[in-house]
Amino acid sequence: MVEDLLHSQPGILNFGIFFLLATVLLLVILGFVTYAILAERKVMGFMQLRQGPNQVGGRWGLLQTVADVLKLLLKEDTIPKLADKPLFILAPVIAFAPSFIVIAAIPFTDKLQFADLNIGLLYYIAISGLTTIGMVTGGWASNNKYALLGGMRAAAQMISYEIPLVMSVLGIILLTGSLNLNDIVAAQENVWYILLQPIAFIVFIIASVAELNRVPFDLPESENELVAGFHVEYSGFRWAFFMLAEYVYMFAMASLTTVLFLGGWLPLFSFLDFIPGAVWFALKFMFVVFLLIWFRSTFPRIRADKLMEFAWKILLPIALANIFLTAIIKEILKLF
Amino acid sequence: MTLSGEFLAFISLALVAVVGGVLLLNLSKVVHMVLALVFTFVSIAGIFVLLSAEFLAAVQILIYSGAITIIMLFGIMLTRHDDTNEPKTGRLRKLLLFLGILGFAFAFYIGIYNLDFGEASTTLHENNTEQIGIALYSKYIIPFELTSVLLLAALIGAIVLSKNDKEKEAKKE
Repeated sequence: MVEDLLHSQPGILNFGIFFLLATVLLLVILGFVTYAILAERKVMGFMQLRQGPNQVGGRWGLLQTVADVLKLLLKEDTIPKLADKPLFILAPVIAFAPSFIVIAAIPFTDKLQFADLNIGLLYYIAISGLTTIGMVTGGWASNNKYALLGGMRAAAQMISYEIPLVMSVLGIILLTGSLNLNDIVAAQENVWYILLQPIAFIVFIIASVAELNRVPFDLPESENELVAGFHVEYSGFRWAFFMLAEYVYMFAMASLTTVLFLGGWLPLFSFLDFIPGAVWFALKFMFVVFLLIWFRSTFPRIRADKLMEFAWKILLPIALANIFLTAIIKEILKLF
Repeated sequence: MTLSGEFLAFISLALVAVVGGVLLLNLSKVVHMVLALVFTFVSIAGIFVLLSAEFLAAVQILIYSGAITIIMLFGIMLTRHDDTNEPKTGRLRKLLLFLGILGFAFAFYIGIYNLDFGEASTTLHENNTEQIGIALYSKYIIPFELTSVLLLAALIGAIVLSKNDKEKEAKKE
């Protein structure tokens, strides 16, 4: 359907349809973010022998995040007097926009997808890098030393961990022979890549947690050393935008992990294919999200000076070795 | 010329690119300039997409988003926070500048006016990445390898420079 739309004549109707689709997607993602935050608080609560939110909206605290968001929207929007005003306002937008743009390229099922890009994987990695600029800008514009330090750390961390992230997926690209996310899912018809590329999966998960700025790699916004890092000075809905970007990236990264390593919408065994693809995708997706929450409540934060060494001296060589190994095995298999 | 979606997209992208470039020259704070540069680079990537060069577009954003962040960091570290430079003005300078722009515009007009690319290929968008890869590793293999040697030399140079600093500091102490 989208394929036909993309080739149709431009006009008001066309624009309206695209606008509507994007709005629906945005609402779905906002719904996800609302309940992802709740799930995170609940799961972390149970892991730490607490209850988590249980007052607003029944025993499970189902309306807790809604109340929190309402509070954020009603809060006073403060801009520090000495802050760089235009950049202070622009920074949350720059940080959030790419997080929503990347979702356009992710195939949820064989029917439910927006853009079928030939360079889907590269597109994701390229666009997600733009968020760093928003973080650094926000950190600088706040005119606060903690914010600036957080922004600096964000830049250094994002650039360092982007490299192992890209290198780890190169093995998959070698095996598939394509950057198209649909082709990558189709190539996992028999065996998922998590079994063929276990090393790549581990490197990818570590690097993706670092890209998401989550514990144990949440140095840019570590509460107890930098107060809150690059968004100390932000309040109200501007702060909400930074948080939103973070959780939308969690959505996107979990989807990407599902597509790359867990076979996307394909069923676990072929006799289970009466269950629709969307359900399979949702199950795997939720598993990845749970894994991310699990990491957050069980790992201590990594030390700032160990962070860079870990990326450059451990992750990168492992990812490079994985590429060599994959290429050699692929050539050997070709001989027979 | 009919008003197609492609034309609209090109006009808006080109406008953002040019405005970004002008802002880059006219803004006074370093971080503002760098941000203007972001808009220029991203819209140039958009123009690459219009030309069916999606691989180039993605790489453009991938490389420059990282590069721009670094430039921004250097901008923050090497300049003072409230540093603004006063523009130097002079009549002669302005006149010469105007003549230079006229000359440039004229040269470009001559160059572009009767430009003929010959038969435009129609299969560019199919397996864009693969085509570039094949061309790079068969036709242009020697320039490609030379570039990688150059990059490696730069990398080692950077390491040597930063290593020296550390040793000197250690001696001082």
